[in-house]
Amino acid sequence: MRLRELGLINYRNYIKLELAFSSNLIIFSGKNAQGKTNILESIFLSSIGRSHRTSRDREIILKGEKESRVRALVEKKEGLSLIEIALAQNENKKISINGMAADRLGELMGHINSVLFSPEDLRLVKGSPTERRRFIDMGISQTFPRYFYSLQRYNKILGHRNNLLKSIGEKDSLRKTLSVWDEQLSETGAYIISRRLKFIEDLKIIAKRTHREISFDEEELDISYIPSIEIDSDNTEAIMKEYMKTLETNHNDDIRRGRTEKGCHRDDLNIFINGMDVRNFGSQGQQRTSVLSLKLSEIEMMHKETGEYPLLLLDDVMSELDQYRQGELISYFDKVQTFITTTDYGNLPHIKDKNAEIYIVNKGKVDKA
Amino acid sequence: MNYYIEPIARLINELSRLPGVGSKTAQRLAFHIINMPEEHVKSLAKSINEVKGHIKYCHTCGNISEEDICNICRNPDRDPSIICVVEDIRDVTAMEKTREFKGLYHVLNGTISPMDGIGPDDIRIKELLARVQDNRLEEVIMATNPNIEGEATAIYISKLLKPMGIKTTRIAHGLPVGGDLEYADQVTISKALEGRREM
Repeated sequence: MRLRELGLINYRNYIKLELAFSSNLIIFSGKNAQGKTNILESIFLSSIGRSHRTSRDREIILKGEKESRVRALVEKKEGLSLIEIALAQNENKKISINGMAADRLGELMGHINSVLFSPEDLRLVKGSPTERRRFIDMGISQTFPRYFYSLQRYNKILGHRNNLLKSIGEKDSLRKTLSVWDEQLSETGAYIISRRLKFIEDLKIIAKRTHREISFDEEELDISYIPSIEIDSDNTEAIMKEYMKTLETNHNDDIRRGRTEKGCHRDDLNIFINGMDVRNFGSQGQQRTSVLSLKLSEIEMMHKETGEYPLLLLDDVMSELDQYRQGELISYFDKVQTFITTTDYGNLPHIKDKNAEIYIVNKGKVDKA
Repeated sequence: MNYYIEPIARLINELSRLPGVGSKTAQRLAFHIINMPEEHVKSLAKSINEVKGHIKYCHTCGNISEEDICNICRNPDRDPSIICVVEDIRDVTAMEKTREFKGLYHVLNGTISPMDGIGPDDIRIKELLARVQDNRLEEVIMATNPNIEGEATAIYISKLLKPMGIKTTRIAHGLPVGGDLEYADQVTISKALEGRREM
């Protein structure tokens, strides 16, 4: 897919910004703190419905204004899609798709697919399991909208169950209702795990190949899903049975702790290079390239599932990569529309022959170079 | 700053506490009432006054009623072998409008919801179990809403009823009749697919 137009009103440091894109490589160049990332953030927002930098909409609204607006027009195989998002001070965000108001955030999923790569993504390797689950969840949600609803549903059931566990401590008779929540949690959780397993299985193959390419055949990347529940098949029914059993066995522990200790909300992803855990034993460089491989593989995955390449958003990551890996990234640009922020576009390789559109960003003003 | 004299301000304030009524609608209603003929206003006030005093809850099913037992439970033409369990009094009306269901009802007055601190003892489950002792009963239909809390309540009750040898059924969920497949959300469609049946 191609982003054709982007319009911002009262968005961070932009009072009004209108951009129209015609090429596949778009570069925003400028000094730090001029508003380059804000543009990428707004594209990401119209894709996922939230910012990658903040969960508070208020921070995005230009100071002194009541409302921020983002308008994104994308061209896909099936035609044009218009996404409009309005963020208000004390209200939920309003989303409209092709002029029709969407009631639920989940409806936005799949209209604009995007993969974002920023320096903070190193957390994917170094950070807590939450980061890795988020990576998996965002990848699947964009291609399977039902998955996103299942996640929301799971979290709600989990909230009920955790509250109940705490209440049982005070009123033991409530214990008899616990199995009701086990059942619902297992059903939704088993669906989530089976989707994740499928996703990781496919991603693993692509990631292995991608990583070989960017490491000059020197490194072997391997990923695996680590469930907190013992499972020996990817069959949803079988997972559900194990899920139920595990929850039941842990009733007393869960009640004592007042929270659910096992389930897909505690699962993790292992990332290995040449048989070594990258999180604990990888060099800074290995950690960075493994994230890059995973992100690039996610692009291939989305293409495989939807028949269309997502948008690639590269936020200030070029400077952290060597010439070879920069070139590797740029080789993607033929297939994938890519948005790059950088402090100096002159240093990027192959810019001239790729017909790049270059914008200079200076204090909230965006001009073609 | 108060723009209205006190009696009007008070009326607007009272009206705006009703569900679905904001300050603007409350103002419109209040001024409408001021312009209404005296006897009309009196009859409105009287019916509001009486509704609270005359309404009771049916001792059997929990539906609203003028008597101790509601007219559905008293009706000899209704089939006592089947009870439809609903969350709310309004659901009884919804079911009754179909004119399809000839059995009796049981209103739970809520659903199990640990996040709101509502357990099985806080809704009318005990009363339902007492009714189940009636040996004419053959089937209980769980017609709670198809959301997480409604589903949990249905599962919980069915677990209590099964050992007692009572057939427990759950209403189907899926596409609305007369709706367009194209406009249904994906979750509804996947649910409808799961519940498909042979033709």
